Amino acid sequence: MKTLALFTIFVLIFGTASSSFSDAYAQNDPTVLLRIATQADTEILNQLENSYGDSVPSDVQALYEKGNAAVESLESSLSDNVEQAKEDFLIAMKSFRQISNLISEPSSETKSIPSFDRDLESELNRLYKYFQSLKTISQKHNTGIDFSEIEQKFVLVREQINSDMHDESTKTLHELESLIHVKNQKIREHSSNSASDRIIIFALKQLEKIQKMLDDPTLDTSMPEFAIAISLVAEIETLISEDNIPDAKEKFGELNKIMKIIKRSNGQ
Amino acid sequence: MNQEIVSMYRKECLRDDGMLFVRTEAIFDTMIKTPLLVASLIIVAAIMPVQSSFSSPRALDLIIYPDGSTHVSTEIDVDPLVADFELDLFGSTIDNLVVVNENGFLLNTEIIGDFALVETFGSSIIFVEYDIHDLVSKQGRMWTFYLDAPSDFSLFLPKNSAIVGMTNLPINMEIIRDQNQLTLSSGEAEINYLFGTSHTISDPVIPDNPAPEIDDFVFLIIGGIALTVIVVIGIMVMRTKQKTAKSVLGKQTIQKTETVDTETVDTETVDTETIFKIKPDLREDDKEIVRFISNNGGEVLESDLRKKFLQPRTTMWRAVKRLERNGIIEIEKKDLQNLVKIRKDIEEEK
Repeated sequence: MKTLALFTIFVLIFGTASSSFSDAYAQNDPTVLLRIATQADTEILNQLENSYGDSVPSDVQALYEKGNAAVESLESSLSDNVEQAKEDFLIAMKSFRQISNLISEPSSETKSIPSFDRDLESELNRLYKYFQSLKTISQKHNTGIDFSEIEQKFVLVREQINSDMHDESTKTLHELESLIHVKNQKIREHSSNSASDRIIIFALKQLEKIQKMLDDPTLDTSMPEFAIAISLVAEIETLISEDNIPDAKEKFGELNKIMKIIKRSNGQ
Repeated sequence: MNQEIVSMYRKECLRDDGMLFVRTEAIFDTMIKTPLLVASLIIVAAIMPVQSSFSSPRALDLIIYPDGSTHVSTEIDVDPLVADFELDLFGSTIDNLVVVNENGFLLNTEIIGDFALVETFGSSIIFVEYDIHDLVSKQGRMWTFYLDAPSDFSLFLPKNSAIVGMTNLPINMEIIRDQNQLTLSSGEAEINYLFGTSHTISDPVIPDNPAPEIDDFVFLIIGGIALTVIVVIGIMVMRTKQKTAKSVLGKQTIQKTETVDTETVDTETVDTETIFKIKPDLREDDKEIVRFISNNGGEVLESDLRKKFLQPRTTMWRAVKRLERNGIIEIEKKDLQNLVKIRKDIEEEK
């Protein structure tokens, strides 16, 4: 009996612990910390040289020395004191961040992205990723939509960006956005048929469940929501049979709200 | 007033008030089917890590572009029983939102502020991709990424960027195609980076790298645990089989005993007359019980005694307890029942 009890406890503990096992282990890899801290140290040193040359202000110098010392401590504590290494990492990164703040133009305000100077390459890469997602969906559902024009435009705009043809590349990017938007609509139209089937299957299943709930003898049928629900179920069934999916969806939303009220008042 | 310290442990008392207290160490054996219990626990333990609530991302990957915009890819479990899902976006400036379900169907979405209403209609997993401009800000030359992540996530920093500040500890870092890829824990994370003079740095020289040792050690532990589990399960299965075999044999023996005519006295039955001589003060009804037990091979279930003598449970229990106190019988647990046995050492006590 004792063996069984011990075993069950063991299984439970192991099962619970195993869920966080990988994370706990991963966080114990201290080499990552050294890599990041060393990278930051090198970058900050370069920034200091570029910004101040040989005349680094004393407060900045003190911050750098603190950060650098923390990196060195991190390196030495890696092998035997992981907790110390973590602490060193945070100290170093905090110091480097403070230095970065000081090096950055003090008067400059924090900007959100839309006010940044436009980076056409980033824009192109984002758009290309979006295009790839749509193309994959399109191919999966055999829409037969032709993307060759878009692909050619992508080649063109990349060449334009590489050749620093700013105006031309901006224009081509706009054209691409419009073209992708049109293709997106076509994909949605094409997939609306299969979407309708999916929605019908879902709605019919849900209607069956709702009907069962409404048949519950304990339900207070005198409440006005009950009659509305019954009427909505009938209405949705009619709309589905007429293949009027948009209206059926709308009514279904209404029905869900009514059912929530009924459930609440019925103490479910 | 003198206070008396009283032990909180309840004293075991044998009250003659008819209350039946069953003290048994085999209660788990008898009440719960061991293999069933073990199997259930293993299943619970196995599925525990898998369990996650709806709307918590299964995976979350972010790519920061050089202009600070961020591409978000995520995979989320959704409730297949509801028609739509409110997807929390990480901001309100969203571009290129694409949501597909597990079958690759493009789902309709509507962005409302910083969330999107996705028409899931029976889908159980959704794959979401979008670009967002709210996660990175810039001050001077320093770029700051901030996210309060609902789960662990991976983050690709732009090329030629160097991390110069970080508020929390990363889980991992890799360099892929000259880009830093960080793995970070859920919760708030702030990362400061610069497009710098120094590029991403390859692995520095690391003194003593304990990671591989930990790696091996961890695998050893996992292997050991797995082996132990297998062995224990094996032993338990074997034990269960043996127990089953024994209980089958036991039942067969009892059945055989029951079929024996009451007049046929078992050779091993303790002589009742001897018992009565040793215990001359026994009540007549108790003597009847002893005779019956003796005629049943020296042992009988308490329930059978009740049936035989048509006595209520409490009355029979008191009688049995009396006999036990007199040292004539002993009580054992058998399948949650009391097995009443005539003691073989009565004569020795004499």
